[in-house]
Amino acid sequence: MAYLSTIDFFTDRNFLDRWQRTLRGELDLGWLHAKTEKLAATPENPRRGLTFRDLDQGAYGFTALPEVVRQNRSLAPRGAELPEGLPDLQPAVSHKSEVWAYNTEGYYEEAMTRQWNATLDVPWHELAKYELPDDISRAYAQLLTFLTEVEMIATDVPAQWLGRLNNEFTEVKNFMATQVMDEARHSEVFRKRALTTGYGLMKASPQNEWSLKLIRDSDSFAEMSLALHLVGEGFVLTLFRFSEYISPTELDKKIFRLVMQDEARHVGYGVQHLKWVMRHFPEKREVIHQHLDEVENMVFGGGYAVEVTEPFIILAGKGTKKENIEHGTRITALFQMKQIEEYFERLDKCGLQERRQRSKLHNALELTRASLQEAGVIP
Amino acid sequence: MKIPFPSLTFFQALQALMRQDEARFRRLGFVDTTFGIRIVTTDRAWQYLLTFEVFECREVREVSTFDLTAIDFVLQGDLAAWVEMLDNIRQHGGADVSHSLNTLTHFGERLTLLYDDPDNRDKFFRFQESIQEFFDLASALDVELPMSTAAGAVVTT
Ligand SMILES: [Fe+2]
Ligand SMILES: [Fe+2]
Repeated sequence: MAYLSTIDFFTDRNFLDRWQRTLRGELDLGWLHAKTEKLAATPENPRRGLTFRDLDQGAYGFTALPEVVRQNRSLAPRGAELPEGLPDLQPAVSHKSEVWAYNTEGYYEEAMTRQWNATLDVPWHELAKYELPDDISRAYAQLLTFLTEVEMIATDVPAQWLGRLNNEFTEVKNFMATQVMDEARHSEVFRKRALTTGYGLMKASPQNEWSLKLIRDSDSFAEMSLALHLVGEGFVLTLFRFSEYISPTELDKKIFRLVMQDEARHVGYGVQHLKWVMRHFPEKREVIHQHLDEVENMVFGGGYAVEVTEPFIILAGKGTKKENIEHGTRITALFQMKQIEEYFERLDKCGLQERRQRSKLHNALELTRASLQEAGVIP
Repeated sequence: MKIPFPSLTFFQALQALMRQDEARFRRLGFVDTTFGIRIVTTDRAWQYLLTFEVFECREVREVSTFDLTAIDFVLQGDLAAWVEMLDNIRQHGGADVSHSLNTLTHFGERLTLLYDDPDNRDKFFRFQESIQEFFDLASALDVELPMSTAAGAVVTT
C-alpha cells in the first residue's frame, strides 16, 4: 500500500468519542448548511432524458470551469463544498485546455445510448450459412488478429489517463470511460470473429506494436489525444470503413458498421479537442506540429507491416490469383491514400492548413499519387 | 398501396416505419443529424432533407437546394444506383454485401458523400447502423421503382 492512514482509528480517542456520540443520537448536522448552489435541474427535452448539458449551470456546469483548476485536487464532485482536510490526489492534468473538447458532454451521452453488445448484437448463429474460400478466411483471420491487437492498446491508453485527470473534468472522464468500454468491446468482437474463422488468431505485428507503444508512452494527455484520437483513430476509422467495404459477409459488414460508429465518436472528440486548443491557445501550434512530425513518422512506418497490408490486398482483390492481387493492390493503395487525405482534411478544419506544406507524410502522399497516376492505376 | 420512388411519400413512409419500430431504434441509440438525399438523372434531380433527433426521424421534406455549411452531408447518386439499392433491400430484407450505404459510398463508385466539414461528414459514420437500418425498413414497403433499361439507366413514369 503506497498510502497508509496516519490515524489508527481503533485506538484514536477523538474518533471513538465522535463515534459514540453519533451512536447516542447526538448529531452534528453541519452538512445541512453546505455552502453550495441550490439547483433542481430538469430535462430540456424529456425524450432525451436528463443530460449533462441540462446540468451545465453555475458552479455545477462545465462552461464555468476555469482554464486552471487550482482549488479542487480531490475527489470532491464539481460544485460541492470543499471543506478543510480534503486530500491532494495530485492529478497530473488540471488545465482545461489539455483535455477539453467542444461537445464533450454530447459525445458522452451519445456513447451511453449507442453502446452495443458483441455477444448478442452480432448474429453469430448466421455464420453457419457462409462458406468462405480458404485464402479469404486465412487473410481475414490475419486482419482480425491485427485489429484485436490494436484495440487492446486503445483500451489501455485512455484507461491509464482516467485517474490522472482532475476530477473537475467530469464529462471528459466519463467520455474516456465510455471509450475504454468501446475499445474493450472492439477487442472482444475481433477476437470472437477470429476464433470463428477456422484459423483462430494468426501473427502479431511488431512494427505496429512499436507504433502503439509511442501512443501509450505519450508525455502528456494532449500529446496522447493527438496521437490516439486524431491520428491513430482517424486512420482506423477509414480502415473500418474500408473493412466494411471489403467484408466477405453481411455479418462482418454489421460488425464493422458497429465499430465504425464508436470510432467516429472517438475521432470526433479528438477533432473537437484540437479545435478547442487552436482557438484558445494558438501559441501551441508549433508544439502540435512537432508532435505530429513524430506521430506521422510512426504512421508511415506502418507500411513495414506486410502482415496487415497483404490481407487487405487479398480481401480487396477477393483471392490470390494474379488478377485478384493486381485488383486488390490497386484498391488497397486507394484506401491508404484516402486515409492520409482524410487526416489532412480534418487538420484543415482544425485550422492547421499549413500542415500540408510542412508534413513529410503529405509529401509521401503526393509521391504515391504521382506514381499511381504514372502506372495508370488512378486518373 | 404502392409507394413511388423517388417521392416525398417514400421518405415519409420510412419515417412512419421508424416510429412504429421505436424499440429497435432506441436500442441503437441517439441519432442526431440532418442530411440530404440527392437523386439525379440526366435531366432532373430530386432532393430531400432528413432530420433525425433523439431516437426518431423528426422531419422529412423536399428542398430545392442544399446548404452544405448548414447540414451534415448529402448522399448523392444516380437514380439507377438508388433503384438498384432499394431493389436489393427488397430482395434480401436488407442491404446485401454489395449494397450497404458505406460500401456504395466508400470510394464514391455508386453514391457520393458531399460535405463541407469532415467532422459533420463523420456523423454518417457515427450513426451508420441507424441510417442503414432506416433504409433497410424499405424492405417492408411496396415500393414502385422506376423500370431499369438494359443499359442500366432507369425510366421514370
Ligand atoms: Fe476501437
Ligand atoms: Fe477508438
